[in-house]
Amino acid sequence: MKPGAIIPSNVASLRSLTVTMTVMSYLACLAIGALILVDRAVTNWTSGLSREMTIQVTHVRGADIEEELRRAQEIVSAFPGILEAEALDADAGARLLEPWLGSRSLEGLPVPRLIRVVSDPANPPDVEALEKELSAVKGVHLDTHRKWEAELTRMARALSVLSYAILFLISVSAIAIVIFATRAVLQANRHIVDLLHLVGARDSYIARQIDGRFLRTGLLSGFIGVGLGLFTFLLLGLSGTSGSGLAAASRSLLFSAPEVALWSYAFLFAVPLAATLICLITARVTLMRRLGVIT
Amino acid sequence: MLRLENVGLRYGDGPEILRDVTFSVHPGDFYFLTGPSGAGKSSLLKLLFLALRPTRGSLHIFGENVGTLSHHSLPPIRRRIGVVFQEFRLLDHLSTYDNVALPLRVAGKAEHAYRRDVMDLLDWVGLAHKSSALPPVLSGGEKQRAAIARAVIAKPQLLLADEPTGNVDPTLAKRLLHLFLELNRLGTTMLIATHDKGLVRQAERPVLHLEEGILSLQ
Repeated sequence: MKPGAIIPSNVASLRSLTVTMTVMSYLACLAIGALILVDRAVTNWTSGLSREMTIQVTHVRGADIEEELRRAQEIVSAFPGILEAEALDADAGARLLEPWLGSRSLEGLPVPRLIRVVSDPANPPDVEALEKELSAVKGVHLDTHRKWEAELTRMARALSVLSYAILFLISVSAIAIVIFATRAVLQANRHIVDLLHLVGARDSYIARQIDGRFLRTGLLSGFIGVGLGLFTFLLLGLSGTSGSGLAAASRSLLFSAPEVALWSYAFLFAVPLAATLICLITARVTLMRRLGVIT
Repeated sequence: MLRLENVGLRYGDGPEILRDVTFSVHPGDFYFLTGPSGAGKSSLLKLLFLALRPTRGSLHIFGENVGTLSHHSLPPIRRRIGVVFQEFRLLDHLSTYDNVALPLRVAGKAEHAYRRDVMDLLDWVGLAHKSSALPPVLSGGEKQRAAIARAVIAKPQLLLADEPTGNVDPTLAKRLLHLFLELNRLGTTMLIATHDKGLVRQAERPVLHLEEGILSLQ
């Protein structure tokens, strides 16, 4: 004969806690997804930017721009740490200006010429020395994209901090809700707790009768929350067209290469674990504190 | 076993319910506690089963001064005391069997280790056929018997009972008295609060009388 549960299982406050913790887990899942996507996007952008540089050669009175372009390309191609230096033709420069000047002919305008430079990430060039050597070329300007890289890194850091702050606030709210629910369960079963004390139950024994419910609540709500979160990313991934944007980012979160996706899923499935630990530890601490003042 | 010296008890800022209560109970004693309603019998029992602490005076139970006991040292003392509550205090969501077994469960015993003892005791109090029934479907007398069975199942050294025969017929009251006398003969110290003068007469045991918070030995 299996003994009946000392604390009744149909506790209303635990049902409310399951719903609230599910919402919290869902929000935590979205925040973690955003954190992973921001981190991944910035890594991609900055690695591309840091590998590439652009040399701009502008028209200077008395100088032949084609000649200056050729000299700049020669200097940069021979410079240590440079893998590739490709001079873009005049049409390529015009195409880059199209969004601002339209598609009409740019003939007669002093459109600068560009050299796309790819550096060796394993053996990066000495940019200052390169700038010094290029100073011999008239109208030359080396753009290392450092400003863009710094801006992106700053933005990514701000988004990451924001995501961490959201996760922190979700955790604090979850702890407060579990404390409230624990007190409600204790209050609803006060007559049982009093009787258990009078027949010689220790606080830890009484706490064990109750905190198991919180463990199950945390586990259940955590998994439902992550399930809903993954479903949301799947819907976002299916809703957009191919290319960049939120849809592609959501798809990359779910369906990237196994070694990358594994980390995403590991972080996302840390949510049920965290929800369970928050429920269990908070309930146990609250119970032991409250039971200690009930004689 | 029990020693009370000038014990006083009041609830909040109210009047003293118990005044200068002084008496001792030794192992193997059997006392009745009588007195009119509102005299403080239940409050005195609450002090003795450690649900309350005296507001003045000293109370020693099993040699321990209750006034200085910490919260954590109460359970081992409570396990040595069996209590029959006036209002039974059975848990409505547990079967009669589980209610009776509760002190053994709390003490950490496995179900297979106490099953036979519980069933034997339920049989003795005439509730074997109601072992699976929930308290709400039991009659007042059956609840009383289940409450008594729960109080004695762990073979306590001290049994405190508040009106244990208040809801049973004279025949069963006589059987319960024999159970109490038998437990006392086996070494359990008894203190029974009752209005039942017939029970007191039959047992021929000393009586502590409480009136307006003052205790006297009759």
